Amino acid sequence: MGIKENCFKKSLWVFHLSAGSCNNCDIEILDLLTPRYDVERFGMKLVGSIRHADVLLVTGIVTKKTKARVLEVYEQAPKPIIVIAVGTCPCTGGIFTSGYNFAGPLDKVIPVDAYIPGCPPKPEAMLAGIVKLLSQPPKSGNPRTTSEAQP
Amino acid sequence: MGKKTIVPIGPYHPLLEEPEFFKLYCDGETVVDMEWETGYNHRGIEKICESKTFEQVFYVVERICGICSTSHPFAYANAVESIGAVEIPVRAKLIRSIIGELERVHSHLLWVGLAGHFLGYNTVFMWAWKYREPVLDMFEIITGNRNSYAMFTIGGVRRDIDENKASQLIKVLEDVKIKTDLLVGAVMDDPVIHARLKGVGTLTAKDIHDFGAVGPTARASGVDIDVRRDDPYAAYDMVNWKVITVKEGDVFAKAEVRLLELYESISIINQCLQLLKKEKEGDIKAKVREIPAGIGIGHAEAPRGEVFHFVKSDGGNSPVRHKIRAPSYNCITTFRRSCIGGTISDAAIATAAVDPCYCCTERMIQVYDHNSGKRTMSAAELIKLSQQKTEELNKQFSAKDRS
Amino acid sequence: MNEKDNLMSIENYISDLKIRFPQITNVEVINVKRLMVHIPTSVLAQITGYWFNELNYRYIIVSAMDSKDGFELIYHYSDDSSGWIMSLNVMLAHNEPTVESMTPIVYGIEWIEREIMDILGIQFLNHPKPERFLLPENWPEGNYPYRRKIRKEDR
Ligand code: SF4
Repeated sequence: MGIKENCFKKSLWVFHLSAGSCNNCDIEILDLLTPRYDVERFGMKLVGSIRHADVLLVTGIVTKKTKARVLEVYEQAPKPIIVIAVGTCPCTGGIFTSGYNFAGPLDKVIPVDAYIPGCPPKPEAMLAGIVKLLSQPPKSGNPRTTSEAQP
Repeated sequence: MGKKTIVPIGPYHPLLEEPEFFKLYCDGETVVDMEWETGYNHRGIEKICESKTFEQVFYVVERICGICSTSHPFAYANAVESIGAVEIPVRAKLIRSIIGELERVHSHLLWVGLAGHFLGYNTVFMWAWKYREPVLDMFEIITGNRNSYAMFTIGGVRRDIDENKASQLIKVLEDVKIKTDLLVGAVMDDPVIHARLKGVGTLTAKDIHDFGAVGPTARASGVDIDVRRDDPYAAYDMVNWKVITVKEGDVFAKAEVRLLELYESISIINQCLQLLKKEKEGDIKAKVREIPAGIGIGHAEAPRGEVFHFVKSDGGNSPVRHKIRAPSYNCITTFRRSCIGGTISDAAIATAAVDPCYCCTERMIQVYDHNSGKRTMSAAELIKLSQQKTEELNKQFSAKDRS
Repeated sequence: MNEKDNLMSIENYISDLKIRFPQITNVEVINVKRLMVHIPTSVLAQITGYWFNELNYRYIIVSAMDSKDGFELIYHYSDDSSGWIMSLNVMLAHNEPTVESMTPIVYGIEWIEREIMDILGIQFLNHPKPERFLLPENWPEGNYPYRRKIRKEDR
């Protein structure tokens, strides 16, 4: 078993970064914590600092001004880290692609492990995405993190 | 500059299309000045709208703010329909109002939860969000999506509310009303909340006027404005309701306004549903062929205040210029008055009172030491500070009770 | 107030405004309850002061656009007692887009003026903080996203 599979077997701590969202996605992520979905029972928890996190959730389009911050947060993240693009915005840019302040889809900025499309994706969809990702860890998908993960 | 500390809040502060980055300058515990930097979330939506057709713009403006995803289409519809002098069917008017008010219910519940979290009452947070779920389910039943409803179109609405859905909605609202009673009780009767929120972040009527603040922020300072009453649109002049105003202007007053508005919204929806029953026949959409050249100005009362849209058409397919103003654009500037002179532990709740979203605020708040530029305090710690203050008050009160 | 009274009073209002400020070039009712007053920049501060301080109108926002004859700035105010939205329209020449800042009169206008500076490149004289507001720090100088690329005279 690779180190990545080993690391991500148990409770995941999640850091949530909104790059330039309409905050629908952000609210749906928060919704996951509240009684109906309650992801905390799986040990998943939102943390206040990227340095504590196993997973980086990115919502919203990456604007030219946030691009540097997204990169910075990614650099600060302890590797290996799973990056998940939540919502259509970070996946492709969706409706905002033609905007002058749009800096490109998230995977052009940092390596992404999973995409959860939808505008906003339902909380169930987010759960399903995470479960899928964990049950099938990407073999090679994330070059930067995997190479760093190898001891 | 002596021992001044800078506390940056942000860069992310949603509910605006442009989240901003605050720096609090602190002298010891007191906030002495404030500065801001914005543009992180600037997506150029106004420009994007100019490249879309009038119909398509609805789906763009819906994505300005996830929580106000009816308010922007509402104001935009008012603006465009005023250019074309479109008369919309009564049924469509009623449905529009129902959706608008339902959104207010879910948004205010969300705020109550977040405010609770800031104060360290996480139970309130969980409760309020739990009670919000049935409202979102109702949205899903009526419109097909939990948020971003895509309900509006030029001349009417896209989906109908039939008898079956109406009766489900009535049931949900009854339930929400009971839960609101509970929340109101929890807030109004709690001496700790009184002590914690009264006199914090006070704004006077003059402050409101200076900055052009709107919505619950203004109404909590005794400024009696509400677009729904002052310039009625959709079905708001067909139903009975009243505008809630409170004089004090502090954070407590803002909470009070929002909680009491929940009742008004529920009553508006119920009345609209009654009228909808009578208005059985009828279209939900008027036929609109083209939008003539002209200028349209439309506004609508969002949960956070007035949303304003300015649309200029040259008779073509898409707007020539589309100016959007979200309520927070004006409300946020009032922080300069509400935070200065207060303590850092109050800054979190004073900013939250205007209704920004905590998830983003929390993440990026950091305290910087002014001289060394080193990070001395993190986001979570700032909120913890706020929560600690409540706890201390809690202890004081229980000590008093015992003695 | 019924429709007719409303019309009557707005006519009175317009003539009164014209007497007060003879420099006004044009007043039009563009829609139901929407008034647009076209003025030269010289009286902007006076009318703004009159509306904001004396009549207690609520400041809403400033819309700016690049139109055929120049840059149009539209200052929107709302008279909440009657529901009318009153707009002041000033036109600035394409080659000299400068105007007095209204921030000393209306506090809240500060942000939107900075935003217009960013997106259209209009200069506001005596603005307390004429800094970049919306666009990223590395945005090229002199590139204003809301300016029209092709104008008639350029063709
Ligand atoms: S994907 Fe949709 S809901 Fe999510 S941030 Fe983007 S626009 Fe908002």
